[in-house]
Amino acid sequence: MIPACPLAALPRGEAFRLDTVEPPIAIFHTDDGELYAIDDTCTHQDASLADGWLEGCEVECPLHASRFDLRTGKVDALPAKLPVRTHGVVVEDDTIYVVPSDLPPNLPPGARAKTA
Amino acid sequence: MTTSSLPQSLIATLPGGYYTDESVFALEQTRVFESMWTCVVRSADLAKPGAFKTVQVGRESVLVTRARDNSIRAFLNVCRHRGARIKTEECGEVKRAFQCPYHAWTYDLEGKLIAAPNLTKMPDIDRVEYGLINVHVHEWLGYVWVNLADEPVPFEEEVQGQVVGRLGDLDSIHNYGIEDLGLARRTVYDVKANWKLIIENFMECYHCATIHPELVDVLPEFAEGLATQLYVGHGAEFGDGVEGFTVDGSAGAERIPGVSEDQDRRYYGLTVKPLMFVNLVPDHVILHRIFPLAADHTVVECDWLFRKDVVDSGRDLESSIELFHRVNVQDFEACERTQLGMGSRAYAKGGVLVPSEHHIGGFHEWVLDRLGTSLA
Repeated sequence: MIPACPLAALPRGEAFRLDTVEPPIAIFHTDDGELYAIDDTCTHQDASLADGWLEGCEVECPLHASRFDLRTGKVDALPAKLPVRTHGVVVEDDTIYVVPSDLPPNLPPGARAKTA
Repeated sequence: MTTSSLPQSLIATLPGGYYTDESVFALEQTRVFESMWTCVVRSADLAKPGAFKTVQVGRESVLVTRARDNSIRAFLNVCRHRGARIKTEECGEVKRAFQCPYHAWTYDLEGKLIAAPNLTKMPDIDRVEYGLINVHVHEWLGYVWVNLADEPVPFEEEVQGQVVGRLGDLDSIHNYGIEDLGLARRTVYDVKANWKLIIENFMECYHCATIHPELVDVLPEFAEGLATQLYVGHGAEFGDGVEGFTVDGSAGAERIPGVSEDQDRRYYGLTVKPLMFVNLVPDHVILHRIFPLAADHTVVECDWLFRKDVVDSGRDLESSIELFHRVNVQDFEACERTQLGMGSRAYAKGGVLVPSEHHIGGFHEWVLDRLGTSLA
């Protein structure tokens, strides 16, 4: 379990980019009050999904408008083809923690080269 | 100026080269158009956040838009990465960001860089520092003015000061409630003439009886050839039997509520330097925005504004609009005809101004002063 940020630091409608892990993880606080964590890096080209647009339970990549379902990581809109991973989220003592996925990430070509 | 040999009735104009020389135009771009407040967009044309227009101001393309907080913003229309033009369309709407089509550098409606490929791998890039470059903006009369100077002269001094100088006070223009009027017609005129010819033409009425028969029918004093702009607060009175500011003198639309009794049945024309005309009549306002594109090429956008209830009613406003449309066509034809002579050896030293045009000499001095050049 990796501490991310205080719950109070992540208001509804906002995202937090956890960059102490590689690849980084994006945590979203939806307008409905749910917390979700997915890989921060779009699987199409290296862009931060935390910088994207949160709408309901979806995030839209700011670069090419690929959309990912925060609950499943699946692609809802092209050009991305591969899903992002989802990660567990735990809130304890007003702090948000992430439980990283064991699966291999689907990183875009540029980001893959750098982390390999 | 070379006035020594002229009869007392005449003063000299600028030499013809001032209307044809691209190096003069280049100086005007930097020292006039890029250094002063210019009226560029009607605020209502940017109806909601993300709506944008691109306009030419001097050498620059400027992107004017409405941000999320509904404020108007303006930016140089240039990507900070490799310099590509962000928007090539004249107008449009983005959902939430401006994205350069080349490498997808993406800016929010406030101009901040919010995304770019591999941006998170470059944490030393400051997103505000590498945001779109801001241009100063001011809204007045329901229009957006921009100023590309680093430190603009205050709007009140430069723009409103000119209006006070012409009308005597700001109430006289605020009476027309221009920001609350509706747009009935917009016509864009492509004029093959130097911008200064268009300004000079608007400043004098020596030509009125010759080329503006319909206008002179409505405003008989224009036949005297005196510019109404010469006298502070003066508006030209409608002729006897003229019911409205229309092409045939027939009744116009309902009067704008704030127009005072003194202002009723009168026409007021204002030049707001460098690039705007305002025409005030009891039932509508005609507003010209001028975009100089080259020494011999100027685009003029003219808006006809009436009460919103009048516009919304869908009633026929053609006789009102037709009057000044004809005036525009007549004026711009005259300007194009004059442009043809500017490069002639006959006009190398310029022409002359008769007494009712002498105030145009003040405009020429103003231009020379801005350009930092002198004819002497």
